[in-house]
Amino acid sequence: MNEWVIETKGLSKKYKGRYAVSGLNLRIAKGDIYGFLGPNGAGKTTTIRMLLGLIKPSSGSVHIFGKAMQKERLAILRKIGSLVEYPSYYGHLTAADNLEAIRRIIDAPKTRISEVLDIVGLTKEARRPVKGYSLGMKQRLGIASALLGNPELLILDEPTNGLDPSGILEIRELIKRMPREHGITVLISSHLLSEVEQMAGTVGIVRQGELVFQDTIQNLQQQAQSSIVLRVSDPQAALLTLYEQGLDAVREGSLITLEGISDAAAAQMVNNLVTRKHEVYRIEEKRKSLEDLFLQIVGEGGHA
Amino acid sequence: MAAFMRLLASERLKLSRSFIWLLVPISPLLNLVLGVLSNEIEGTPAEQYEVLYSSMALFHAVLLLPILTGVFAAFVCRYEHAGGGWKQLLALPISRKSLYFAKFWLVSELLIGVQLLFLAAVLITGAVRGLHEIPWNLMLPGVLGGWLACLPLAALQLWASIGWSSFAAPLTINVMLTLPNMLVINSAEYGPFYPWAQPTIAMLALGSENYGAFTMPTMNLFMTIIGSFLVFFIGGLLYFRAKEI
Repeated sequence: MNEWVIETKGLSKKYKGRYAVSGLNLRIAKGDIYGFLGPNGAGKTTTIRMLLGLIKPSSGSVHIFGKAMQKERLAILRKIGSLVEYPSYYGHLTAADNLEAIRRIIDAPKTRISEVLDIVGLTKEARRPVKGYSLGMKQRLGIASALLGNPELLILDEPTNGLDPSGILEIRELIKRMPREHGITVLISSHLLSEVEQMAGTVGIVRQGELVFQDTIQNLQQQAQSSIVLRVSDPQAALLTLYEQGLDAVREGSLITLEGISDAAAAQMVNNLVTRKHEVYRIEEKRKSLEDLFLQIVGEGGHA
Repeated sequence: MAAFMRLLASERLKLSRSFIWLLVPISPLLNLVLGVLSNEIEGTPAEQYEVLYSSMALFHAVLLLPILTGVFAAFVCRYEHAGGGWKQLLALPISRKSLYFAKFWLVSELLIGVQLLFLAAVLITGAVRGLHEIPWNLMLPGVLGGWLACLPLAALQLWASIGWSSFAAPLTINVMLTLPNMLVINSAEYGPFYPWAQPTIAMLALGSENYGAFTMPTMNLFMTIIGSFLVFFIGGLLYFRAKEI
């Protein structure tokens, strides 16, 4: 038995000799919210298009619900709701008619339309042509269409793209409820870690088509180690004291920085400094933010 | 089959409340006005009716019908090209083949609507002019044959419309290739093989006009139509199935 809802093995897509996606091994567990991260152009959308069978991989395989995408595409798609890039809609139709057009294809019960409109909070606007909707409303309609078929897996490509902060918050709350209330597994892509860190259980980070990190968000947070910064009366002498203790310290002007030391080592260090009559003015802990770490991983942040 | 009917129902819903329906009666209405207002026709009542039909069919099929065919083909793809609709649609549990069939079905449905309204327009004109000897054996094959002859062009235009995300580009080319029709239909050699001229030839093939492409046997014409239909339809389908969405 396969425990993964989505599992890809060596998934690659080549365009004109250049790999847009290369050797991707994604694993997404049931009931999880998986944040699929990476800068624009890293290959997120290409990957999602392969997950939905819209394009064929150059090599590698996609298994969803334990079934091979190449062989059982329609059976897999029946249990997936998706929103790829921009929400697509028929502007001259109302929200209810847009959903009806999809409902006719997937043969969902008619009552489901009002249910999903209710879930995304569009019930009042359901009878208006969609072309008059705000971007946030269109995005919510996109999520409503994705939910229409009672999916077991939701694949959302940048669902908060172009939304204002309150729109982002709205969508985030909506997505957080999916596993809890409906038992749905969610894959959500974004180019901002901050957007998914509050809802994702696991994150996968792609850079130039390669998966460079895939683990729980807690483990990512642990990687965001803290450092201790000291300000003392005589930094040069203090540095020697720290070297004697065997600590790897770096001096920058009047500041001394120590990376990732344990509580015990920190206590020992302070004791040593005080017994040698150093005056310790400041001891600060500096935490690297997740965003810094993310930027470091995707290779954009020079300051991290 | 049930799934295909549902897909068709969904496609029909998308076209509802769009101006496409206004295009269906345009050519029949124009023809009705021209037919009613045109000069007295000479000859016996039966001959008059045949000339009436032929002149209306010529006006209808030379320009308007091929252009409408292109418009319909472009229109059924229009909403998908706007804003990633292909992705959303093909991420649903439907095969590309059935979607392609559904799109084509819709175009042929619109075209048969046009043809039936055209037939109605001829009948009304005949009645207004006090003609009663309806030449069914001329008109029925003409109207239905005209419809069949539109299908290769519809398949070709659907292919172009799927491939081109622009709404206007395939239409412009369609109009440009429709314009030489008046010349092409006079050629017995090339006329039958020119997809834009085929509707005209088919609608008048059994008529009284025996010049140019109209002299060829009906059988040959329909073999050409079926042949080119298969080429364009299968070509478009293969293209669509391999297309990266």
